[in-house]
This record gives sequence, structure tokens and C-alpha cells, in this order.
Amino acid sequence: MLRWKYSRPLLGLLIALLALAPMLGGNPLSRPGLQQTMAVAFLWGGLALTYDLLFGFTGLLSFGHSLYFATGVYVTCILINHHVVSWWLAGLISIAVSAFLALLVGAASLRTSGITFAMVTLAFGEAGHVILERNFFNLTGGENGIALNADRIPSFWISVANTKFIYWSALAALILTYAIIWWVTESSAGRVFAALRDNELRVQVLGLNTQRFKLLAFVISAALAALLGDVMLLAAGSAAPRFADAGVTISLLLMVVLGGAVTRWGAVIGGIFYSIATTRMQDLTQQEAFKTIPKWIGGPISEPAFVLGLLFIFVVMFAPGGLSGAYYRLRLRAITKKSR
Amino acid sequence: MDTFILIGITGIGLGALYFLIASGLSLIYGLMGVLNFAHGSFLTVGAFVGYWIASKMGFDITLPKFIFAMIVGGLAAGLFALLIEQLLITRLYERHIDQALVTVGVSLVVGAVLGGWFGNDLRMFPTPVWFSTAITIGGARIPADRAVYIATAVLLLVGNWALLKYTRIGLIIRAGVENRNMVNALGINVQRAFSTVFFLGGFAAGVGGVLVSVYSNGVSPLIAGTYLIYGFIVVVIGGMGSVPGSFLAAMMIGVIRQFANYYATGLGDFVVVILLAVVLLIRPQGLLGKVRA
Repeated sequence: MLRWKYSRPLLGLLIALLALAPMLGGNPLSRPGLQQTMAVAFLWGGLALTYDLLFGFTGLLSFGHSLYFATGVYVTCILINHHVVSWWLAGLISIAVSAFLALLVGAASLRTSGITFAMVTLAFGEAGHVILERNFFNLTGGENGIALNADRIPSFWISVANTKFIYWSALAALILTYAIIWWVTESSAGRVFAALRDNELRVQVLGLNTQRFKLLAFVISAALAALLGDVMLLAAGSAAPRFADAGVTISLLLMVVLGGAVTRWGAVIGGIFYSIATTRMQDLTQQEAFKTIPKWIGGPISEPAFVLGLLFIFVVMFAPGGLSGAYYRLRLRAITKKSR
Repeated sequence: MDTFILIGITGIGLGALYFLIASGLSLIYGLMGVLNFAHGSFLTVGAFVGYWIASKMGFDITLPKFIFAMIVGGLAAGLFALLIEQLLITRLYERHIDQALVTVGVSLVVGAVLGGWFGNDLRMFPTPVWFSTAITIGGARIPADRAVYIATAVLLLVGNWALLKYTRIGLIIRAGVENRNMVNALGINVQRAFSTVFFLGGFAAGVGGVLVSVYSNGVSPLIAGTYLIYGFIVVVIGGMGSVPGSFLAAMMIGVIRQFANYYATGLGDFVVVILLAVVLLIRPQGLLGKVRA
């Protein structure tokens, strides 16, 4: 067994600590600033995990995943702002809409595979982005997006003093996503997903409908992305076209590859790390010491994409498997050494 | 009628820009199976080098000087593409997904470096005065720069065709697109064909970058964004590995997009995606693509 025997109790302890920290004073997490940063980081961790279900577990390189995340954000925001339904029903409807959209787009784009699939999903995702930016029927607010009407959601999610509730919501959404993806990937359907990734022809020969299983993975990950989008709407307070940008999907890809695909926790750590790194790196470049670096080198470094992009190239070239892959390799080496 | 001609020719001009990007993408994919996300950064590198040369020559630039800047931009992008291929792509031989991932990394790094150096604001690209005059065709007054896009795209198409048809390396490239293992087995060095294709694709993208920055009134690290995505769409609709297919699809998409946008702003992008979906449902291999064994 590659799993460390204390990993599960320690994970439970960590989650308990993270959940309780905002209530106990005197630690960094009792400040709303860090709560907000961590809430967003948890959501990115969850999103990276939904992407891992596609890319890592099923082998589908989709470049249009942001579409389903943005559907969650936008549909909920529009339904709440226009007084259509109450906030919780709006959230549920957005998940259903996202799943249905994934069903349609998936049915068309899964006719292709591999690299073509990547291009096609990219095109569909970008079309969604364009539609959101154009403000059709005056619903999406164009390039500025739409602010969430705070009167229509429970008051405990409003105001800076209540950031801890957003933090808990994000943590809960991450745990729920993790649990569902754990259940899916360990189920018999999850075995088929892995088989599709490793040898699609063989699955076909076994008489299974490969398209249907791929579509299932596509729809599940879209629905979960919409769920995380609902919470992101609370954390961001508005729906903006940047959530639908192809850059979002590329970030998710980076998170999964840096953290390591197919291990679940790798994607989550990758997402949390990436999210914190992009926010903190900007603070770092504001410091005095940084200004002494000449501009031709300081300019690129101040862009998070530079460092993360280089790190990403390094991992793809020399350390496939990312962080969690490296961990399991070390573990394997330790175990084989012991048994010898 | 004259609006009809104006929109049609503008559409063809836009299609010409798409073709410049898609031709390289299509050949690179057809020959090596590499989904090249770095193609957008080839375009940006070409645009910036072209801008650098052109702005050194002052703002009252003439057509030959502009063409010179455009060719230097193209060459720089071609060399950059060659560098990326030699440094990164060849080391990930046959690992297609990883190759695509590495090019994603390259596009991020190049975007960040250019953004860090020059900022993300548009910089005026010096163009000959002649570009902003109008030509009259069939009663329609058409901006002259459209003619430059179309002429460049046609020249590159013909050049591409001649190279593929009449040279030895072109023959190897065509055979490689058809069946690479067979070419390898015959003892022919396909690696050189790979490098050639990367250089040519980078060159076309660099030239395209200069023209894109004329079309969008300036150069910035962000100009490549939508063009790369349209390049992908063109490649899928035209058929992977088919340069004439890319040309046909690029023209079609440029014209359709302009007409749809004329009747309702923003409708163009939507129609193009619908078209993509229809093509995928009816002809998944694209217009002129061959079914892969």
C-alpha cells in the first residue's frame, strides 16, 4: 500500500482544524482577509478536482471546462437578481442547466477524440465566453458582468464580518466535491473511465458504449463545476465574463499537472497552491526590495504566469506526475528498500 | 449592393488572417500530431519584432519598408518556433498530450515576458498612409489594407503549395502527413521535415501577427487570443493537415462571420460555433480532411 497509514486520521484532523480556525481567535484564519483568500483557494481546489475527473481519470483533455463553471455562476446570479426563484433553488437549477449544457456540447464534441476534442471544446467554451460578453437580452451585463443582489440571499453571507460563512461554504463545497468524485472514481463506472483513458479500443471490444461513459464523466464534472460556481458567486459577489475565459481552463490544467493527476489530493493541493500563489505573488512584487531588480527581469517576474508557466514546463518535461506523483515515487522507494 | 461587397471583401480579408495562423497549425498537427498552443505566441513574437523594425523606420513608412518589417517579423517568429521545437517538442517525442501541455506553458511564459516588458496596452503599429485609403470596387469603397491581407494569404498559399508539390522536403512532408511511420521506415529523416514545418508555420504566424496588429490598430501581447481560437476552428472545419482545406475554411468563416455580425453584433462568433458543431456531426474529419486509419 502506497498510502501512509496515518493519512486519513491526519486529513480528518486538518479538516477539523480548518473548519474550527475562524471561530478560535488569535490565528491568521480569524481575519476576514485570509478567510476570503482561503475560500477562493478551496473553490479552485475543488474545480481542479472536477477537471482531474475529466483529464486525469478519464483522459479527456477538455479546454472548455470554464463554460460549466461560469454557467453555475451566471445562471444562479440571473435567477436570484430577477426574483425568479429563491437562492437555494437557483443554485440547484444552475447545476441542472450546466449538466444539460454539458450533455449537448459533450454529445457533439465527443464525436472527436484526443487533440481534436481539445480544440472543439475550446471553441465551444470560447463561444460561451463571447455570448456572456455580448450582453444578449440584457441578462449577462456584458464585459462588466452583473453584481449579485445582496437582498435576495440570507444575511449571514453578506458583509466582511461574515466572511467566515463564505469560508465554511467553500470548505463544505470542496469536501462535497471530493466525496462525490471519490465515490464516482471508486465505483464501477470509475473503473470504466480509467479503462477508457488507458485503452479505449479494449473497452469497445468488451462491448461497452464508450461514448456514453465519456459523456457521463463530462456531465458529472460539469455539474460539480457549477456547484462550485454557485459558491464562487457568493465569494466574488458578482458574475463576470472572466469566469468563462479559456484562461480559467488553462489554469485548471496547470493546477492538475502541478499537483499531479489521478491522485485526487494532488489536484486539490495544486488548485489551492496555484490560487494562493497568484494572489500572493502580486503582493510580493509591490514590496520595496522588488523595485531594485532591473525592469527587464522584474517585469516578467511580476506576472504570476511567468513563474507558474516555467514551473509547469519543468514538471511536464522532467517530473511527470507532479507533486503527488513525486510523493508516491518516494513512498514506493522507501517501501521497496524496507522489504529488501 | 456596395455594402454587400464591402462586407464580403472584409470577410475575405479576415479569413486571410485566419488562414495565416491556421496553415501552420494544420501542418504541424497533420505531420506530428502536436496541438500547438504556442502558435499564438509565434504570432505575438512576429508582431513585436515587426513593430520594432517598423517603428525604427519612423511613422512615415512606405510599402516596401512595411513589407520588409513584415518579413523580418515572420523570420523571427519562424526562428522562435524552431527554437521551441528543438528545445521542448522533440524531447517529448510521441507524447502528444505532454507536447500540447508544454506549448500551453510556452504561451503563458511568452505572454508574461512580453506583458512584463511592454505592458498590455495597444501600441500603434506604423503603417503606410496608403493602407487607410479606399479602393472602389463595384461601387463599394473598401479600405486598402484588406487587399494586403488577401494578397499575403494568397502568396503564402501558392508558396506553400509550390513547396509541398515541387521540392523534396515538401514531398517528405506530404508523405509524413499521410503516414509518418512508413516514411521513417524508408530511412528518410522526418525530423528535418518537422523542423521545416515548425519554421514555416512560425513564419506564417509571424507575418499574420504583423497583419493582425495592423487590423486591430496596434500591437499588444494579447492580440493573439481570439485569432488562435479561430485558427483551431478553421483547422477542424478545413480538415487536419490539409492546407487547401484550411484556406477554404478560413475564407468561409471570415465571410460568414462578417455577414452575421452585420445583421446582429456578436452573432458572428455564435454562428461560427454552430457551423463547427454541424461540420463535426456531418463530417468529423473536416471539409478536405482524410479519415485517419
